[in-house]
Amino acid sequence: MTDDVEAPATDEPAPRYLAPGDVGLVAPHDFVHARPFTFKNGQTIPGFTLRYETYGTLNVSRDNAVLICHALSGDHHCAGWHAPTDRKPGWWNNLIGPGKAVDTRRFFVICPNVLGGCQGSTGPSSLDPATGRPYGLRFPFVTIRDMVHSQKLLLDHLGIVGLHAVIGGSMGGMTATLFAIEFPELVRRVLAMATTGRESTQAIAFNEVGRQAIMQDPAWNHGDYPTPGGPRMGLAIARMMAHITYLSDASLHRKFGRRVVQNKPGEGPGTFDVQFEVESYLRHQGQSFIDRFDANSYLYITRALDHFDLGTAYGSLEQAFAGVQAESLIVGFASDWLFPPGQNRDLALALLRAGKRATYAELATEAGHDSFLLESPELYALVRAFLEREETVVDFTI
Amino acid sequence: MAKLVEKRTVDMRIIGDWVEPHTRVLDLGCGRGALLAYLVQTKQVSAVGVDLDFAKITACVQRGVSAYQGDMTAFMRAFPERHFDRVICSRTVHELNDPAEVILEALRAARAVTVGFVNHGFWKNRFDSLIRGRKVQNAVYPTAWFESRPANPVTIADFEDFCRAKDIRILRRVHLSGDWKSERSLLPNLLAGYALYDLTR
Repeated sequence: MTDDVEAPATDEPAPRYLAPGDVGLVAPHDFVHARPFTFKNGQTIPGFTLRYETYGTLNVSRDNAVLICHALSGDHHCAGWHAPTDRKPGWWNNLIGPGKAVDTRRFFVICPNVLGGCQGSTGPSSLDPATGRPYGLRFPFVTIRDMVHSQKLLLDHLGIVGLHAVIGGSMGGMTATLFAIEFPELVRRVLAMATTGRESTQAIAFNEVGRQAIMQDPAWNHGDYPTPGGPRMGLAIARMMAHITYLSDASLHRKFGRRVVQNKPGEGPGTFDVQFEVESYLRHQGQSFIDRFDANSYLYITRALDHFDLGTAYGSLEQAFAGVQAESLIVGFASDWLFPPGQNRDLALALLRAGKRATYAELATEAGHDSFLLESPELYALVRAFLEREETVVDFTI
Repeated sequence: MAKLVEKRTVDMRIIGDWVEPHTRVLDLGCGRGALLAYLVQTKQVSAVGVDLDFAKITACVQRGVSAYQGDMTAFMRAFPERHFDRVICSRTVHELNDPAEVILEALRAARAVTVGFVNHGFWKNRFDSLIRGRKVQNAVYPTAWFESRPANPVTIADFEDFCRAKDIRILRRVHLSGDWKSERSLLPNLLAGYALYDLTR
């Protein structure tokens, strides 16, 4: 620094939401589609709302947009802070921001909450205009394709004529991939991480245990419950179980080992109260989830995941990708046992067999499925290379 | 447009000469994608590389070259017969555990295969082991034994034997001098430092 004026000394550190590289305070918007929307299964709703956030500025040619697709339990708040008092920023704050791998100084970032969700977008907990009561199980069966087509209507509303990239992990990777299939002329790059072209048997099995936990909770009442309320215990258990599948044996061991918690009076090693730190952690995950997520949305979205199978839907993976115009980057994570590297490889290989430009990279993290959300300078370098590469002419004359 | 200057080596030029324009090319052990970028630029090929290292894949992405991180034989098995017009295996073959498996798989997945390797029969390399009693060191093998990866050294004579044994047709061969800058056709197994083969079934 050449400036010799010192900043005034203060006991308060700068607020986190003002940290360099952060998008700062952000607020969501609502896109209201006031016309009927027909789902893949033929059912129709009179209209829908998608809640979304944007960061950065849309350029004059309207082609610097980057669409971020969230995972099962994610939402539209992927970067920045809603209030200075927020405990945590958006879920992909480490990836998205000014100067970050998804650089909001270059790109206009859009992140919608999916159709069927419960964070402001229309879903089973929304009021059915026909009855004035929540849709519950009367909400149409949602597919990943319905999520994609509803988000396309949002892009039309925003006047987006081309997507620089569609980016997502896990279910977001499915959404991103399907976007390039359904709207090939719109998508120039697909970045899909920790994902699959077809929900595996094991993943369906895990989803079913979660759904059973919810549906066996008497408070579920066939999807007809007041909000707030409903099958809180069932939803918490579903989340606890699912959360294990997002981590790995090694990462759980590193985080918690076999460490025990301090027992309260009357609680001892011979009881079934929380004894190990990992139990306390999972209970916390379950409890914090029920305050922000709707049980019926969980049922609907996990069902959407179960039915995601590109090969069956289009005849084969190669046929699914036949019309894709985008360049794809698929990233797998070695310790991911929910959507293991092989399923990510299969996507890249099928794209290449279909004659498309596709890259597969695999990161050797031990954090399991959630690796795509963690801080990783190597991953950031790859993402930046993919998004910011300019056409280069190499001089090979010497 | 960004400008970049890169050293074009003689083996790179010969490999390029054997590539037909607008074809589908796979580079095994593509590294940072220099060869493929050269082929995309000069022959407008549809290119993909395979490498094991994440940072190298990142470098390929930076260049706009498609790349796959993983095992090269498993990669080729995922493609139908003759999906590629040409597979290139350059400066890689000496690191393979099972070179026959890789080259035969390449001959299945592609119409033609380019193999380029350091000739361990080159007199200087023989000198290293016979007279100096040392592991071979040269531009491709610059390291001492204790910092070297496992290598599977090959000579021109070994390679031609292999092609005969497996009924592989040699369409073209170029043998380069010790400095890899000029062609050397006299007593290649003794006098050539680098060898390039254009193979088919």
